Amino acid sequence: MYKRSRKGSKTENRNTSNDNTYTDTYGPIPKSVEDVNARLSEIFSDCTDFIQREISCGKNGLIRILVAYFDGFIDKRVLNQDVVHPILDFFSNTELNESRSIYCRLKECVVVNNDIKEAYDMQQAVDGIISGEALLFIDGDDKALVIGVKSPQGRQVEEPDTETSIRGAREGFVENLLTNTTLIRKRIKNPNLKMEMMHIGKQTQTEVCICYIKGIANEEIVREVRERLKKIKIDAVLESGVIEQFISDSRLSLFPTVGSTEKCDKLAAKLLEGRIAIFCDGTPYVLTVPYLFIESIQATDDYYDHAYFATFMRLLRIIALLVSNILPGMYVALVSFHQTVIPFNLMITLASSRHGIPFSPFSEAVLMIVAFEFLREAGVRMPRPIGQALSIVGAIVLGEASVAAGIASNLMVIIVAITAVCSFIVPPLIRATMLLRFVFLAAANFLGFLGIALSAVVVIIHLCRLRSFGVPYMAPFSPLTVSDLKDSILVVPIWAMVTRPRVLRQENARSTRGTKRQEVKAKH
Amino acid sequence: MVKTQISKIQLFMLLLGFLFGSTVIMTPTVGAKNDGWLAILVGGAAGILLMGVYSAIALLNPSKTLVDILMERLGKVAGNILAVLYIWYFIHLASLVFRDFGEFICTVTFPETPMIVVIGLFAVVLLYAVNSGIEVLGRLSELLVPIIPIVIFIIGLSLISVHDFTAFLPILENGITPVLKAALSFLTFPFGETVAFLMVFPHLNKKEKLKKVVFLSAGIIILAGTVIFFRDISVLGSDLMARATFIPHLTSLLIPGLNVEPLVDINLLIGGGIKISVCIYAASKALCQIVGIDDYRTMTGAITTFCVVLSIWVHESTLDLFSWSEKVWPYYSIPFQIVIPLLLLLLSLRRSKSSNKKEKSLKG
Repeated sequence: MYKRSRKGSKTENRNTSNDNTYTDTYGPIPKSVEDVNARLSEIFSDCTDFIQREISCGKNGLIRILVAYFDGFIDKRVLNQDVVHPILDFFSNTELNESRSIYCRLKECVVVNNDIKEAYDMQQAVDGIISGEALLFIDGDDKALVIGVKSPQGRQVEEPDTETSIRGAREGFVENLLTNTTLIRKRIKNPNLKMEMMHIGKQTQTEVCICYIKGIANEEIVREVRERLKKIKIDAVLESGVIEQFISDSRLSLFPTVGSTEKCDKLAAKLLEGRIAIFCDGTPYVLTVPYLFIESIQATDDYYDHAYFATFMRLLRIIALLVSNILPGMYVALVSFHQTVIPFNLMITLASSRHGIPFSPFSEAVLMIVAFEFLREAGVRMPRPIGQALSIVGAIVLGEASVAAGIASNLMVIIVAITAVCSFIVPPLIRATMLLRFVFLAAANFLGFLGIALSAVVVIIHLCRLRSFGVPYMAPFSPLTVSDLKDSILVVPIWAMVTRPRVLRQENARSTRGTKRQEVKAKH
Repeated sequence: MVKTQISKIQLFMLLLGFLFGSTVIMTPTVGAKNDGWLAILVGGAAGILLMGVYSAIALLNPSKTLVDILMERLGKVAGNILAVLYIWYFIHLASLVFRDFGEFICTVTFPETPMIVVIGLFAVVLLYAVNSGIEVLGRLSELLVPIIPIVIFIIGLSLISVHDFTAFLPILENGITPVLKAALSFLTFPFGETVAFLMVFPHLNKKEKLKKVVFLSAGIIILAGTVIFFRDISVLGSDLMARATFIPHLTSLLIPGLNVEPLVDINLLIGGGIKISVCIYAASKALCQIVGIDDYRTMTGAITTFCVVLSIWVHESTLDLFSWSEKVWPYYSIPFQIVIPLLLLLLSLRRSKSSNKKEKSLKG
């Protein structure tokens, strides 16, 4: 708790030092077009993409209107068709009626566009302009209209690269927040699908949207999400990963307690289970909370295909997760401590393959795994067209040359290869596995199987301690929730999954930290 | 105050892990030789009764720990003294299990590693577990304890070809006395040791299930104990069994063409770990209650360190440890496991009867 408060104050300090950038209130809107024009020019000085235009219309050009927007941010054609053209038409054809102000007329019957808001002070007007809306000011009023004519530019909806599936929707999220929420609305046609917008980021004012299905999602958790998002004090939110780090229950844990996905059907399924989604403008990765351990071995395909295959796949993934974590450690423990456990025939093969290797099993394993991690990282960072060269080099160096040169044994190459393949089977845990593998290796080199077992117990204790928005991370295994086991390692057919996950409906949705604080309060 | 709670499954698993404890490497009924199964049945029956007494105490004093009960029933001075003695008993128990673990690992797997390293590392891991709270311990046992019976099952099945099913005959060759003695040691190790759970029972979220959970876990242990006994004796024969140090481990070594030694290690790690964690938890909680500290975590570090030191210091060798746990431990435990709990039960019963009468008279 101490840490959190200290951190909070630190960020606050950082922000207050930069505070005068724009967040100062700009006061009320001046009544005349000239003043507004001057004021806006002052605020947006040196912004060459900022455009203001004065329109004079009506008889004798007495009615003066100011339109202001950012070039490229809005759809000019829509602006002209829906706003400027009707205004010019209207005032050239109609007599002015004094009983109703021009402002009301414009708002109610002239502007064709449906998305109209009112700005009562300069702050709201500026907010509208910078978030891609057009400002419409009529001379003599102290209010302005903010008209949503944002241009729908950005990437097309396409299949996400990071999450592929054999069966299921190919649509993935894009950078545009509205497109993303629409994709979900299209899938869940229900007025109970709620979207709550908020702005996070002192400089970027990024739009963040909490999405949940009322009646299915746990209200407590929704409230907790809202509170945690409100507490975020930061300059910029460029990716949902920033939010993830702020709202995670355990900020120092290796394991993810906030999920992220790029696939629409996956997110829809999560929402329908009672989870809460957090959209963030500017990134295709949508966060889901609470995120449990079991979700990392679930895939959308599991539910679209026959349950037998899904169960088999789940088993495979669990085994792969174990293998990718402890296989190198196991090998080292076997070779350096527990030779008696190895069957005799394998022992001979092993001894002959290790013959002439200058390194200890541990350094051999570390060497090969690090070499593999180099290749993997290079594969992610380098430009795509060079990929082939890398894979050839990798295959030759890791597979052939290292053995031929007498640096690594054949068995070690196989073990690193299997470990590497297995680590890609459970994508959400790749990063955790990558580090844990070395921990297990070191423990195995130190104490053999006992070391592996002890460090595994530490990891399991940690997993049992973790919570995601109040829900125990290892649910439904521990605490055991029998009704939720239908979608764990065993997958029952979709027609038999009649209940929603019960763990998400827990009454106490607050984090462990939160309850502790309450306890302390209650005591005093 | 929000109370940490554990579910009935978690308590069941904790009890199971605790009862398996070091029994996965040591057989307390070794003195009865062929008639060990009789000793297990007799001792187990008595053990169920004893655990029934503990749960009855817990039910008569709802949401009170052992220390509270002692203070309430025996007065402040006597209660405090007995509570301190119990803390000593829990610490001693934990250090014995530590020593069992260390002896086993150092005898079987790592003959050249100093025992303090093995025990110390184990203690660090357990300290982390205990400091995570009883809730986490419950969840942990839910994940890990099911491994123990699976391993026992695997070892039993792989030995199916080397069984000699008549090895336990003849029955009562040496008369009934050794059986009763072995039954006493089976009663005090592991059943009587569950007295430490009087510090854990108040956390159960559904009190009415307590008896069921306790009896079920005791029953499963008796069943498992019998199965393990028959497995061991039909594989080893009674002579070898009487001479072996770690009987289940020796049995597992006899599996043809396969070495599953690490599986026994894992069983000991889980069972012993849960036993030690519960003991340390009970000891530190009790100590904190006596001196009036709110958070038991302030004491766990000190108590664990003490246990580690004690475990190294208390016995000279494996043989010393074994003869001590066979000859002294049962009698040393009797006051803690049987006499004081029975006293508490009687006092609680009398109190509840009198309070019932009062209520009735009030109503009347």
